[in-house]
Amino acid sequence: MVCLGTSTGSHIVILAGFTLLRLLLLANSRIKNHFRLKQQTRIYPARRLRTYPGDVKMFGYIWQHLFTSFLRFLFKWFLRHFTGKCELQRICSGYKQGAARTSRAEHSLESSKSKVLRAAVSVQEEHVEECAIAIMKEKKVTSQKDPVFKMSLQVCLSQICGYKGLYACVEDMRKQPFDCENNDHENRLLRLWDLLMPSVKLDSRLTKQWGDIGFQGDDPKTDFRGMGMLGLTNLVFFSEKYTDVARQVLSHSVHPKLGYSYAIVGINLTEMAYSLLRSGALKPHFYNTVSQSPKLEHFHQLYCYFAYEFDKFWIEAKPESIMEFNRYREMFHEKMKGLLEDPDVSLCLTLDSKQ
Amino acid sequence: MGLLSILRKLKSSPDQEVRILLLGLDNAGKTTLLKQLASEDVSHITPTQGFNIKSVQSQGFKLNVWDIGGQRKIRPYWRNYFENTDVLIYVIDSADRKRFEETGQELAELLEEEKLSGVPLMIFANKQDLMTAAPAAEIAEGLNLHTIRDRLWQIQACSAVTSEGVQDGMTWVCKHISARKK
Repeated sequence: MVCLGTSTGSHIVILAGFTLLRLLLLANSRIKNHFRLKQQTRIYPARRLRTYPGDVKMFGYIWQHLFTSFLRFLFKWFLRHFTGKCELQRICSGYKQGAARTSRAEHSLESSKSKVLRAAVSVQEEHVEECAIAIMKEKKVTSQKDPVFKMSLQVCLSQICGYKGLYACVEDMRKQPFDCENNDHENRLLRLWDLLMPSVKLDSRLTKQWGDIGFQGDDPKTDFRGMGMLGLTNLVFFSEKYTDVARQVLSHSVHPKLGYSYAIVGINLTEMAYSLLRSGALKPHFYNTVSQSPKLEHFHQLYCYFAYEFDKFWIEAKPESIMEFNRYREMFHEKMKGLLEDPDVSLCLTLDSKQ
Repeated sequence: MGLLSILRKLKSSPDQEVRILLLGLDNAGKTTLLKQLASEDVSHITPTQGFNIKSVQSQGFKLNVWDIGGQRKIRPYWRNYFENTDVLIYVIDSADRKRFEETGQELAELLEEEKLSGVPLMIFANKQDLMTAAPAAEIAEGLNLHTIRDRLWQIQACSAVTSEGVQDGMTWVCKHISARKK
């Protein structure tokens, strides 16, 4: 093994070792990117799925295993002695706050050999500070040596744990079915109508009029289905926060040719946002846009972005009819996933100045 | 050549393709049934805008199942999907008694369609897991199914959520494809 001496000879050895490991790391990211690019070619409507020969795939797995179980630690050990900083410190000082830093810190914590570090990714929000102190103790980092480390680490931990907390909240709300006996649910539904159709009164609770804002039948209750109260809350939030935009989108949706069902498309977009949250794909967005732990409101904000952007996307694409919806939905989904690949992504609703 | 591609080549010849059309009112459970057939998660279903399609391998057939949205607004588009249909599956929400008349009318109109003439009909009396669900026999009587003489038909009680009864219905479907396709 390389020994850390002061003589010129050992310096050369260190440099050689460093270069070698650097090359290995580079090769690893190349391999990873190669595989990721292949997955991206699945973009609709070029439907031809490129399948990989099994042996090439297998080589990828073997390399991945070798890298995560052996080379990564060797490289980290080397850097630790070379720079005098642990990986988390290097991440916190080397990358700007946001997805660039937090995603790397998350990966570092998850693949750590230490139990304390691995457990840190699922710490409760109120224990973030204690957890940061425990990590510093474990890694023998003192505040004197690295005064900003603790703060940076705490932000990372809040974001990482906050994302998990957000998913739990969203899931709770989704599992809550719309209940006609619940006054709060009923009021929210009626509020949605008033916000979108201020000049028209509902004839009764069960009426064909619901079709005017894009529900399917005369009782919207059955349209929430798998999205439960999450679907309704998103619809109401959009109409409440961006009333003019929501009405404008609604006016597009009643177009005789390019029209679509406003409410049920909204529920479908809630499903899209929900499944992206569940898969973890929204992490970079939340890490970049919320410097603490993200809350339900931030999820509703993201829905507003989806509702507004999908409408734009649909109108520009000029689909043949509403029957094309799922094809365009999938294209929009791929577009969003593409945006989320960018570490600097932030999916925030910005309105054109004309409005 | 990779090992996997050799293994792939050893697989038997492709199954016969069959086109199945899944229709019914909105909220009848068509998408849930479709996902259940494809063994997918049924807990995140949303209303179908447009249509969904999935291919399912079953009993030596490749079933291409078309699930078309049931909303009144898009029912006029149903006819665009009639061509070359091998089996029609009509789904009914057995607990939604208020709409039995509406669903009966839609079904009657479908049976009048020239492009669907003679196509075997499978009716799923869905949502039998709900306490308020009407039994299949009651629905069959209400819809006057016994007056259908121009095609093979069958009614099957089921619950797309729990998958109970779905397999029995699909066995009937597969049995009667072979009769038609020879």
